Amino acid sequence: MRWTLCCLLAAAPLIRAEVSFNRDIRPIMADTCFRCHGPDKNARMMGLRLDLRDEALKTTKSGVTPIVPGDPDRSAIVQRVFATDKKVMPPAAAHKELTAAQKATIRQWVAEGAKYEGHWAYQPVQRFAAPAGQNPIDYFIQARLAKEGLKASPEADGRTLLRRVTLDLTGLPPTPEEVAAFLKDGDYERVVDRLMASPRYAEMQALHWLDAVRYADTCGFHGDNVFPAWPYRDYVLRAFRDNMPFDRFTREQIAGDLLPNATADQKVASAYNRMNRTSAEGGLQPKEYLAKYAADRARTTSIVWLASTTGCAECHDHKFDPITSRDFYSMEAFFADIKESGLVPDRGSKAWGSLLELPTDAQRAKQQDLKSRVDAAKKALEEKAATMTAREQQWEKDVLAAYQAGKLNWKYQRPFAAKSQNGAKLTIYNDEPVDFTYYDGGTQLGERKPGNGVVIASGPNPDNETYTVSFKPGEGAWTALAVHIVQEDSLPGERLARGADRVIVTEVDAEMSGSNLKFVLANQSNNPDVSRDVPAMAAIDGDPKTGWGISGPGDNNDIMLALRFAEKLRTQKDSVITVRLHQDSDIRRATAGRFRIALSDAEYSWPSFEKRPKKDGDSSNTGLRESVVKALEAKERTDERKKALHAHFEWMTPELQPLVVEVAKLEADLAILEAAIPKSVVTEATEPREMRILARGNFLDESGPVVQPAVPAFLAKLDTGGRRATRLDLANWLVSEKNPLTARVYANRVWRQFFGIGIVKTLDDFGSQGEWPKHPELLDWLATEFMRDWDMKHLVRTIVMSAAYRQSSAVRPDLEERDPDNRLIARQSRYRVDAEEVRDIELSVAGLLVEKFGGPSVKPYQPDGYLATLNFPKREYAASRGDDLYRRGIYTLWQRTFLQPSMLNFDAPSREECTVNRVNSNTPLQALDLLNDLIYVETARYFAQNILKNAKNDASAIDWAFEKALSRKPLAEERKVLLGLYRESLAEFRKDPKAATELIHTGEAPVDPSLRAADLAAMTTVARAILNLHETITRN
Amino acid sequence: MGLLGLNSLLSPRLFAAESKGVVNPLHHPAKAKRVIFLYQAGGPSHLETFDFKPKLRSMDGQGMPDSFTKGQQIAQLQGKELKCFGPQYDFKTFGKSQQRICELFPHIGSVADDVCVIRSMMGEQINHDPAHTLMNTGSIITGRPSMGSWVLYGLGSEAEDLPGFVVLLSSGRGGQNQPIAARQWSAGLLPSKFQGVKFNSAGDPVLYIHNPPGMSAKLQHDSIGAINALNKIENAAVQDPEIATRVAQYEMAFKMQSSVPGLMDMSKEPQSMLDLYGAGHPGDGSFASNCLLARRLAEKGVRFIQLYHRDWDHHTGLKTNVALKAEEVDRATAALITDLKQRGMLDDTLIVWGGEFGRTPMSQSGDGRDHHIKGFSFLVAGGGVKRGISYGATDELGYAAEENPVAVADFHATMLHLLGIDHKRLAVKFQGLDARLTGIAGNVIRDILA
Repeated sequence: MRWTLCCLLAAAPLIRAEVSFNRDIRPIMADTCFRCHGPDKNARMMGLRLDLRDEALKTTKSGVTPIVPGDPDRSAIVQRVFATDKKVMPPAAAHKELTAAQKATIRQWVAEGAKYEGHWAYQPVQRFAAPAGQNPIDYFIQARLAKEGLKASPEADGRTLLRRVTLDLTGLPPTPEEVAAFLKDGDYERVVDRLMASPRYAEMQALHWLDAVRYADTCGFHGDNVFPAWPYRDYVLRAFRDNMPFDRFTREQIAGDLLPNATADQKVASAYNRMNRTSAEGGLQPKEYLAKYAADRARTTSIVWLASTTGCAECHDHKFDPITSRDFYSMEAFFADIKESGLVPDRGSKAWGSLLELPTDAQRAKQQDLKSRVDAAKKALEEKAATMTAREQQWEKDVLAAYQAGKLNWKYQRPFAAKSQNGAKLTIYNDEPVDFTYYDGGTQLGERKPGNGVVIASGPNPDNETYTVSFKPGEGAWTALAVHIVQEDSLPGERLARGADRVIVTEVDAEMSGSNLKFVLANQSNNPDVSRDVPAMAAIDGDPKTGWGISGPGDNNDIMLALRFAEKLRTQKDSVITVRLHQDSDIRRATAGRFRIALSDAEYSWPSFEKRPKKDGDSSNTGLRESVVKALEAKERTDERKKALHAHFEWMTPELQPLVVEVAKLEADLAILEAAIPKSVVTEATEPREMRILARGNFLDESGPVVQPAVPAFLAKLDTGGRRATRLDLANWLVSEKNPLTARVYANRVWRQFFGIGIVKTLDDFGSQGEWPKHPELLDWLATEFMRDWDMKHLVRTIVMSAAYRQSSAVRPDLEERDPDNRLIARQSRYRVDAEEVRDIELSVAGLLVEKFGGPSVKPYQPDGYLATLNFPKREYAASRGDDLYRRGIYTLWQRTFLQPSMLNFDAPSREECTVNRVNSNTPLQALDLLNDLIYVETARYFAQNILKNAKNDASAIDWAFEKALSRKPLAEERKVLLGLYRESLAEFRKDPKAATELIHTGEAPVDPSLRAADLAAMTTVARAILNLHETITRN
Repeated sequence: MGLLGLNSLLSPRLFAAESKGVVNPLHHPAKAKRVIFLYQAGGPSHLETFDFKPKLRSMDGQGMPDSFTKGQQIAQLQGKELKCFGPQYDFKTFGKSQQRICELFPHIGSVADDVCVIRSMMGEQINHDPAHTLMNTGSIITGRPSMGSWVLYGLGSEAEDLPGFVVLLSSGRGGQNQPIAARQWSAGLLPSKFQGVKFNSAGDPVLYIHNPPGMSAKLQHDSIGAINALNKIENAAVQDPEIATRVAQYEMAFKMQSSVPGLMDMSKEPQSMLDLYGAGHPGDGSFASNCLLARRLAEKGVRFIQLYHRDWDHHTGLKTNVALKAEEVDRATAALITDLKQRGMLDDTLIVWGGEFGRTPMSQSGDGRDHHIKGFSFLVAGGGVKRGISYGATDELGYAAEENPVAVADFHATMLHLLGIDHKRLAVKFQGLDARLTGIAGNVIRDILA
């Protein structure tokens, strides 16, 4: 039925008006002709071209004249489209049959003179006149509706309108108080002003921009590690909050670093150029990846500002639009000055390339202070050490002899007791055999052998733990104690920890015979540069939150912490030493899976292992660093080895000890401080690299011509007076009056936010394959209005103030068949909200949402094992704590390869590529998520708690909850359904109090002890039902 | 008929577009109704699995002739001396068809007469992540639908209470497990209902499939009943087809809550079946267990089942590691073919075994092989493929596909063809173009069609 109707509609223009090339012919040709007879010269057949009038009128070599204006019968294209034999065009093999109406339209167009028009989007923006006294949006829409013989819908009722505009502008539903106030005064404009002044407005608007620029928190390829990008997200948030003019917004993102005296903010804005995915996969070919990064930037910039699908031109001239390969690579060339490498390191001191530190004033001052104190302490140490050179030479001989005699080796202890504080099961393996599985970066090795004092944690896996171990060292005199964390391949956190992606020991203390053993100095086997924020000294600094361990990927071998006793510890045959490993980090489950305790009786053994685990399945400790050993043995003393040697001497020389301790303390403080200073990836300009056209996108082919930065030739030519054009020139042109696209493209995207669909449906494609605007005059009017001051809020305000926006979304039988997709806008639309809003609505209704503007990305709960198939590093997720569990969706850590499941389920894009048109699907996984996801169960029980606290009786409870969630009172019928559910649940939970207790303790938010468990559990089922309603997550 | 009445007819096949896919009727009669893709991630060495190169063995340790490698892409061997590295194991001939297969794979050898070995696969991407993306989506630009999503979009699902595209992952004991991004089973630009659903061996088999703590099955049922009753009241007022869909999705979710755990519970499989697959601990997520699960999913009508074994990246220690992999996959792969055959399902199930690329004939670090895209092997069986044949060949050193090269797009085109789909006609508009699994390439490999 609908099919027939479509045909009738398509045929309708024939009777009505002259054929317009842009409206009627170009879409047909773009779909069916241009692939072989269009701009791509390599794909062109028979030398025949139909996209240019001059070409189409020429007689080809084979004597064919495609078009004879005014004479369809002599025009080859008309003959061929009407042909019924194998001459028919398009050919059968193309599977593109023309309808009778389309054929007739082509014929009529030729008969009318075959008038061509330039593609609409590339024509200058025109400001069509609209009469004063009416919002021009309404004038244009109503004019169109009048032509169609339709009428706009009446204004939506107050409740619906307020809910709609509040959701659209802030992403959160209105409170019942706000609804009541609006229903009373009806002052819509004041509502709009209030909403747009709220920081929530920025949190909602920024979402769409972040999709477009593919902002994410992880690098996207291979190990998909977290990179410092969130300051850029905050820049975008502030830009929307403060209503930064769009031209400035554009300039700062594309070329903030090139602006004179660029501010930190402007440099952070330039992180736009760094949002492409990057790889740290060993064995990648740098040139190939540089080509990928460059192409990504050209594609993204073209879609975000120009809605041009230049991506095709990476390999060949565009088949349908006048974009050439040269245009594509010329666009890439603008970004050729970005300092970068093909392999972008994801760990260590060079991680992520160009970074900007963003310290607070206090951090900056403290950093300066610490730096100068470190310098002074080092100077004092070196001055004293310089007086001892003779001794250093003798020491070198002694230490080598001691090492070779094995005297420096750490002595593993054999515990007789091990217990945990929070429930983990600790098992001691002294002579008992254990399977050890090691991974050395290339090969996995394993063996079963006696544990040799290893303690293994299993069973319950709490977020924090303290392990207490007791052992008898026997008679001896000890200089230091070591904690050896043993690698095991099955451990999820970097093969070291029982969770997270790291291990952190926050404090170590020890006692013997009831008195505490004092440690003065700490040192570690692992590379301090990889894990700056967890230095060894932090394990004995008395601060329960700082600690030692690893906090970055890439250091997943056995690690050891050595703690120097303040004075030599003498033990007798039966002396018992008890060691406590506190693991109280904010990062959940950064707890050791396997460890040993060791002692040394040598003069200062260094915590060190041989690099590669031996085949017998265990890293052997050596007591001396490899670089020091090499320096001593081979006498080949590189500067690095000399430094290590000298450091070791200082470290073990008693007279120097106080100075060494002073340096170590200050350096640890500095490292912790510096690790806490926010950083952002930024763009840093350097000498532009050469850009060539890569034939078929092949980076190995270096035969293509070199190109200079230029905007697509058919749009403009930049006038730079012969100077190489820069990113700033590009940005300036994008927001210049000469560019017909940017304002249209942006206005169209904003339109979609308020009607669910663009004026041009193809938000990312304004080319000939894209859709013709449904309201071209309106789109142009919006574009001109926007271009006046590039005022983003003005554009939004104009839209939401229109009658078109405010009309009812109720289904109308007269529109059902005429305009099923609501393109004419004779009513508003009804659709499910975006993924982040689903979360925000649920949490906000429940009273659980924690609102805080900006800041580092947060990690809501996630099911265990969700990241199990990631590697490099091997990791387990560690959710945030406290308030950060309940933040708005926009702040969720955006892990590109494994997006937070609730985001993915509700169609949030992975942001691996620019996305301007999210899909909106409806799946059983969404139902499972809202029903059973921990956060939504917790949300329901928290909502229930609020309901019970605010209700006088069962029925009023349901009314209160309904108003909170849906901004309306329930119908009697609805109330009945929920009351039924409540009573049934109550009966169940009274019978099964344990079930009730379990349910109401889901999640970490506090439970009100004054409420009865069964009541709260029963009301939780009611709250959960309301939070699962289609209406709750729908704007209409 | 009102919307509510209509709704009850729509249910329950809601993972698919409608009850059928968009290719309706099929472009031509289908040979296969479903696909089980045994994806060997990391890049299995063709030289120690299905492609025997005696000449390479005789040149072991000698320089790799320049004529082969000049101007070609290289991954980790960039700037290194290139030396031939002979096959580390012998090959045997198996079955009536006399297929040559590495001695490490006797079980696959035992079904040699049921399989077709393609020895001339070619990739385009030499690093894992883009190569996976190409193999799964036909494109290196992310955001394109995966092949499972395309198939589901095209054909719809026959599963009553399960997703139509299921993904299962296993790790290996070699420690070189590949990171596999969720994009590999993403629906990309298709609606997300076509995405692959990952089934897990630990925790929830499907995310959020279990009731919250303290929520009995009865209360879960009643809650969903209340939610749907309220949604229906709303729908009576506003008549939004999305609400009808939402109601059906909640019903489907509830059904999945009982069907998925039942499916994953393999305790009722007879011991003989566990032995056939070598599934010592059914449900442990091992490749063997997942092969058995794949058969159970196939029986339920799941359209596209993709298993990943993630541990084939043998830059070092290749000899040991390939043997370890053979232990993990040989018996189970053969068992799946045998089991399906016994059940009469091999005729309409297409089984594919292969990874994102192969490995160099040159050595790396003395005992491993680097990534290699110029020639590698695939094994296909069942659903409309000739049995007991080989197709294509690499050159004498196993470097480049020489005879009948098969590009990834050709493989995709062939797979779709077997399912009754013309790959050129399965397309959706995206950014002005017809997006297809095969892009603008792809030729059906006619010679392997039965």
